Parts: sequence; C-alpha cells; structure tokens
Amino acid sequence: MEKMKLKLLYSDLKPELESIEKELEQAVDSESLLLNDASLHLLQAGGKRIRPVFVLLAGKFGDYDIELLKRVAVPLELIHMASLVHDDVIDDSEIRRGRPTVKSEWNNSVAMYTGDFILARALERITEIESPRIHDILSKTLIEVCRGEIIQIEHKYRLDQSLRDYLRRIKRKTALLISSSCELGALVSGTDEKTAAHLRRFGYFIGMSFQIIDDILDFTASDQELGKPAGSDFIQGNITLPILYARQNPEIYQMLRDNLNLDISDEKRLEIVRTIRTSSAVDEAKRMSERYLEKALKELDYLPKGSAAKTMRKIAFFIGKRKF
Amino acid sequence: MNGQQIQSKIISMEIDVLKAVRQRTLDQLTEGPFVKEARLFFLLLPFFNGEQWSDKMESSARTVAIVYAALHSHDRVREEMPISKEQQLTVLAGDFYSGIYYQLLAESKNIEMVQKLATAIIQVSEKKASFHEPALQQPEQVEETATVIETALLNAFYEENGFTHYKQLMEQSLLYIRYTEELEALKNGEFSHILRLFSETLIQSAFIESWLTDRLESLGNDIVVSINDCELDFELKNVLLHQIIPHRLSAEPLTREG
Repeated sequence: MEKMKLKLLYSDLKPELESIEKELEQAVDSESLLLNDASLHLLQAGGKRIRPVFVLLAGKFGDYDIELLKRVAVPLELIHMASLVHDDVIDDSEIRRGRPTVKSEWNNSVAMYTGDFILARALERITEIESPRIHDILSKTLIEVCRGEIIQIEHKYRLDQSLRDYLRRIKRKTALLISSSCELGALVSGTDEKTAAHLRRFGYFIGMSFQIIDDILDFTASDQELGKPAGSDFIQGNITLPILYARQNPEIYQMLRDNLNLDISDEKRLEIVRTIRTSSAVDEAKRMSERYLEKALKELDYLPKGSAAKTMRKIAFFIGKRKF
Repeated sequence: MNGQQIQSKIISMEIDVLKAVRQRTLDQLTEGPFVKEARLFFLLLPFFNGEQWSDKMESSARTVAIVYAALHSHDRVREEMPISKEQQLTVLAGDFYSGIYYQLLAESKNIEMVQKLATAIIQVSEKKASFHEPALQQPEQVEETATVIETALLNAFYEENGFTHYKQLMEQSLLYIRYTEELEALKNGEFSHILRLFSETLIQSAFIESWLTDRLESLGNDIVVSINDCELDFELKNVLLHQIIPHRLSAEPLTREG
C-alpha cells in the first residue's frame, strides 16, 4: 500500500519507469538458468526504485533524454540489488520484502555469484557512458558504500557507539548512492555545476532521512508490514538511531545490554520492540530525520521551479511520513 | 629474464595488489587478497617475454589481479550458520576489491577494460553457478567450465592489450594446473565442485582419475607444442616447463633452438 502511494507520487514517470523495469529484466538475463531465476526472484520482489526515480527527476533539470538517463538509472538500481543479495548473506536474512532471500531459497554461494553477476551487469551497462566524471563519481560511491558496510560490521553489538559513528555509517551505507543518483542524473543531462551540486546535496539529505526512517520503522512497523521480523536490526546487532536514543534510559540500556548478541525468543524480541516503540527514542529519531528533510527541501529552493522539483518535494514529504 | 627476476616481479605485483586494496578492518580480520601465482605469472607473461609494457598495461594487469582476488574472496564464503564476523567481512572484501578495480580503471580512464572485465566476471559467475545446477555436464563441458573460470579474466587482459598470441598457452597451462590440483584433491578424498561435476557422468573415482590422468598427458603434450610455437625467450621457456609440467622436463628437454 505504502509503496503504491509512493508510486502515485511519481506517476508522471510511469512510462519511463516501466521501460526501466523492462531493461532491468533484460539486464539480468543470463545463459545460466540459476542466475536468471535468482536475479528475477530478487527483481520481482519489487522495491521502491527510488534511485532510478531520482536519476529521472534530476534529469529534468537539464536536457531530458530518457535513453541517456536509463544508462545511469538501470546500473544504479542493479548496484543496489547486488548489494542487497550480499547483505542478506551478511545478515543471515531469510526474508526480504516478504519473500525468501536468494541465500535462503538457494544458498550462500548462489547469492554470492548472483551479486557478482548483477554488479558486473551494472558495470557492463554503465560503460556505455564515456564520461570519466560519471565513472569517477560512481566508483568512489561504490567504495564508500562498502566502507560503510565494513564499519557497520565493526560497530555491530557496540552499544557505546556515538551518534556521529551512526550518521557517518548511514551516510556511506545509504545516502551516498541516492546522492549519486541525483548527481549522475543531473550530469548526464548536462545541467550546470551549481544545479548538479544542489541535487547531489538534496539526494544526500533525503538519503539520510530515508535511512533514519527505515531504522525507526524497524521498531514501529509490524512484521507483516516490514516483510521481515520487526526488531531485526537489534537482533543482527545493528545499533540504529532509536537504540542510541533509547539507551539513554538506564533501564532500557540494561535491557538492551542483557539481550545483545543473544539468540532471543520471539517474545523477548517483541518486548524489546515494544519498549523502544513506546519510549521517547522514536520521536527523537523522527526529529533528526525531519532536520535532514528540512535541509533537503532547502536545497530544492535553489533549483528552478517546475514539475520535477514539485515531485521531489512530494517524495521528501512522503519519506518523512511513510509508515513502512 | 631468469627465474629469480620473474619471481621478484610476481612478488612485486602481489605487493601492489595488497597496497591497492588496503583496508584496516579487512586486513586484520580476513585472509586478505589472494591470487594464484600461476595466474599472476600468465598475467605478466607478455612483460616477461619482453613485449612493450606500458604503465597503463601494468595498472590494467593489477586490476585483473584485484578482480581475481575479489572473486576468490567470494568463493571463500561458506554455508555454515550462523555466519561468522570473518565470513561477513569476506563477503565485503570481495565487494570492496570490485569497487577498487572499477575505481583504478576509472582513474586511468580505461573504461573499455572495465567493460571487458565486467563481461568476463559475468562469464565466470555463470560457470560457477553451474556448480549448483542440476543439469548434467559431460566431461568436455566440465572442461569448458573450468577453462572459463581459470582464464576469462586473463583473456580480457590479453584481448585489451593485443596479447592473444599467448592465449592458447595460457589456457592449456592453467587448465593443466587446475587438473593437477583436482587430481590431488581426488586422491586425498577432498571435495571440489569440478570433481562433483565429473562424478555425475564418470561415476567412479577410478574413472575420474583415469580421465584426468589421460587429459593431463595430452595437455602436457599440447603445452610443449604451444611453448615452442610462442616466440618465448629461452629462459622463460624453461621456467614455464619447470613450473607447469616439471615431470616431463627430463623426457623432452628444450634446446636453445627450441
């Protein structure tokens, strides 16, 4: 339902997004039936396609050429997909978007090959663009995303980490790829540097807000809405913003510490979720997300008015209010 | 170029790869980048043989080695649950090395090589996926699978830089080395995906052993011919024979005339 609402926001882009969807399907076509099945399994689980959307919207600030924009939008979504398959191995996740993960449907090895295959398809496609600048931005982003994930593993189960640690981690893990989607969409459309920079910053702030909301939803949404068990972040040792705020209460801190890195029962999991949900941590985290949203909206003020800016504004509001 | 110089260049390439992918956590908690020495040898073969070797080629060769390391890292991910921290970082090491390969080539504006290597990675991933597919592979198909896994990345490098005249020798040699390893694994009762594929059509260990032994014999002959066909430096020919098929050296010594 929420995904549908989001899609309604960018219904103007429907034909372009359908065409991107088709290209995604073509991109994962493989002579290996197994890789084909595994990639399609992932693709058909859906997703918000937020990265392609931002590429297209950013493209509207320059010379909008859908064929050119697709050459960036498709690889960016593929890169995101490849990282999801590997993340599920890292997190030992059985379910994503309500469906069995590739590693659970097949095994870890198949998930590794699928991720490598999809990433290679992304790189194969992006090389259709010759501009060194595009490759410079994208390759650096890829590396930073990995660094973010490595840091996330380093920080697992560390209840004593700082807010700064968390923000730097989500910047790399999520915000940079969204930021790059906006910047690359702008650059391939030939916008001026200033516009591209505003769009890059818009993407960065939206990405930060998006991830914080995602981390909040892990405690506030139901298992069904999430398509995975609520509180998964805590169970996997990922210390997110709601936990960082909640730990300030000594009782909650003790409870979190006592259950960290343990194979806890479902009942215990739900108790932890309930405790965080009813604490002030959720509101505090929401305020942080709103601060990033405001910054994102401010960036839009510097951009020419028009339908793209309007849609970006709507998406920003939606991200701030989404329920799951 | 003598054996010592060759060894020293290979070590220098290993150090360059290590430096290129340096990352504190990965260095501390994972095995680190690993590339089989034979693959590095064939990557540098044109250089050893005195071919014109530019900085761009050196950097391109390094990225091929990094991609081998990335794929090797992902091969090391096991099925055991729950996944350990080392395994989690091993997944990320492979992804991180892939990012470095792209960045290095992007920096040197060698986008064509990014594309060639990406295509080779696709081929390798497809062949590796076949380890988990129910479809039966005849021994010749298993051989093709092994060949692609061993050589697709190197072939991308040879094609990019006009070194395809080494292709045949490289393919035969890396396959020879792979089969030698498989035979060893078979004798030690160890599991390997390639052996499992062979067992589906050759059924018994004895048949697999006999098939591999015959194939090694025939590949050995082919390699001697290919070595003579390639215009290789005399020292290099001997190094190659010593490294790949040492047991055949006494039977067929090379003269300076080849």
